[in-house]
Amino acid sequence: MSAGRPTGVAPLLEVEDLTVSFHGGRRQRLVAVDGVSLELAAGETLGVVGESGCGKTTVARAVAGLQRPDSGRILLDGTQLGSRRTRVQRRAVQLVFQDPYSSLNPRLRVGTVLRELLEVHGLASGEEASRRSRELMALVGLPVDALDRQPAAFSGGQRQRLAIARALAVEPRVLVADEPTSALDVSIQAAILALFAELSDRFRLGMVMISHNLAAVRHLCDRVAVMYLGRVVESGPTARVFADPRHPYTRALLAAAPRVHGPAGTARALLAGEPPSPIERPEGCPFHTRCPRAEDRCALERPVLAPVAGVGDRIAACHFRDEPARAAVAGADARTGPACGGPTS
Amino acid sequence: MTVAPPLLEVDALSVEVLRRHAGSFLAVDGVSFCVKAGGAFGVVGESGSGKSLMLRALAAVLPNAATAVGGSVRLAGRQLPHTGRAARRERRGRMAMVFQDPLSALDPVHSVGWQIAEVPRKVLGRAAGESRRRAVELLSLVGIPDAASRADAFPHQLSGGMRQRVAIAMALAAEPELLLCDEPTTALDVTVQAQILELLDGLRRRLGLAVVLVSHDLAVVRDLCTDVAVMYTGRVVERGTAEQLIDDPRHPYTRGLIDAAIELDDAAAPPRPIGGSIPDPMQLPPGCSFEPRCPLATSACAESVPVLEEVGAGRVSACIHHQLLAAR
Repeated sequence: MSAGRPTGVAPLLEVEDLTVSFHGGRRQRLVAVDGVSLELAAGETLGVVGESGCGKTTVARAVAGLQRPDSGRILLDGTQLGSRRTRVQRRAVQLVFQDPYSSLNPRLRVGTVLRELLEVHGLASGEEASRRSRELMALVGLPVDALDRQPAAFSGGQRQRLAIARALAVEPRVLVADEPTSALDVSIQAAILALFAELSDRFRLGMVMISHNLAAVRHLCDRVAVMYLGRVVESGPTARVFADPRHPYTRALLAAAPRVHGPAGTARALLAGEPPSPIERPEGCPFHTRCPRAEDRCALERPVLAPVAGVGDRIAACHFRDEPARAAVAGADARTGPACGGPTS
Repeated sequence: MTVAPPLLEVDALSVEVLRRHAGSFLAVDGVSFCVKAGGAFGVVGESGSGKSLMLRALAAVLPNAATAVGGSVRLAGRQLPHTGRAARRERRGRMAMVFQDPLSALDPVHSVGWQIAEVPRKVLGRAAGESRRRAVELLSLVGIPDAASRADAFPHQLSGGMRQRVAIAMALAAEPELLLCDEPTTALDVTVQAQILELLDGLRRRLGLAVVLVSHDLAVVRDLCTDVAVMYTGRVVERGTAEQLIDDPRHPYTRGLIDAAIELDDAAAPPRPIGGSIPDPMQLPPGCSFEPRCPLATSACAESVPVLEEVGAGRVSACIHHQLLAAR
């Protein structure tokens, strides 16, 4: 089940009840992704957030066809993508990785990488391929002479631009970016996000951004899905989810994010400990072992992912989803105001 | 406010880095600051700013290609040698370092309890049993639940956050007065990052430990530190209290870092990246090294390297146009 949207708009990408498991050792299964459903329209950007181990990267890999799901369906324009994708289907979903240092072949010049891609996919060859490559460089904000250089000649931010150019070369419909700014300096993260926003707009790309950086998601994504232990626990339009989170886990994530503005010590732990192992999933609500709101029933009864009453277009998997947010968000609202002023002496 | 002498005084510290076949450059160029006992001092800068090398120079654990070539490091008034056995000996038990990647700081073939116990045993000359008890005590001090049994765990059996707690426990084992932290939370989740920041703040308050925190993330530094230095191309370009620097920056680079930060709460103010990139350290511009990227730059900026000037109570800036920023 996924957050509702205006009917009539056919989703570009649908993920239905996706489950992926791995060998957990000693004949155990590690269920990394457990019944995740997502929807993405053309031109829309979806953020998937959560702690390490929540399964967000596995979702990205499954969507990109790099990880075979145990069950569930992935549909592009209503057509199911099988476990063996055709070349055209592979082109349609492209992945940008976290680390731009290890995701580019260090021995090949950028121009060679792009030309090979264009030729293999039968998109362009010869002079046309060169012209297309120059266009791609302009598109991602790199000089044309970048084509003659090897990846080592570029900084982290520039390499991420190269990785984006490579993904765009095959004219995808969906771009999946796995932590695209995590390895970059704060000063250039914003520029990469701006590039994603521009591209998504210009080509009506559907974008999935996997990130643990809530601020980046807030900034770029129209909608957000929060994952915990392999399941979506809350989703909806980013602005509304972040302003009034209905799952205690979303609240805790928001409270933990450090802020440049606002009093020191704002990024303080609401959550003790770390997520339990997906091999030994707790009974009841998977979050109850760390939840500040937990009651007895949470240990027994697993809450379903259901619409939040009265707010529309929002779903959350918490027994108390209909209680509006308290402290964490009130603080956030207070900080947006005069925090920038400060003493002028 | 007390008038106690500073615990750590760093004066004009410089570190030279040798590049094979290419010559050498100053990766850290005349860095000065003080940290009070029990204080929390932050150093912010992009990659290539020299912040990590500066921290390693303080701990006398520079990589082979780097050498401290000038300046002094004083701990409680006493100058410490930059290199050699004496450098290590005089720091032992007084300062300790926590790295970004705890896995590389821990020995994979020994249990974490054994590794921590090694410090009281070898450095403080305690008996084996007592050292082991101390290790368990330290593990619970850094918030590891069920410390007595976790002491037998090996690093690979622990999560990233737990490993960083172990690394902090090990750093505390020799009872230092000063903890040097190099991006201690960068590899961690936000929730765990918040826990580690809280732990460091708690240790500072409870044990009176002074902390120097190096990070590329102004928000992280802001969270823990009362005083901050901003580094660019090996130089401190601005220094003051965290509040002063963030509410009222007096260097365009500090301003740039603040404006570039993607903020969670204020969706109305979109982040503005800093244009251009850090210059090649072998070919720094002759004047202010930020001049090629600076929105306030004039021809005067390219003439000579600006010095740190007092621009307010206890704060300095290396921008000749700092008044323009104050007026904003």
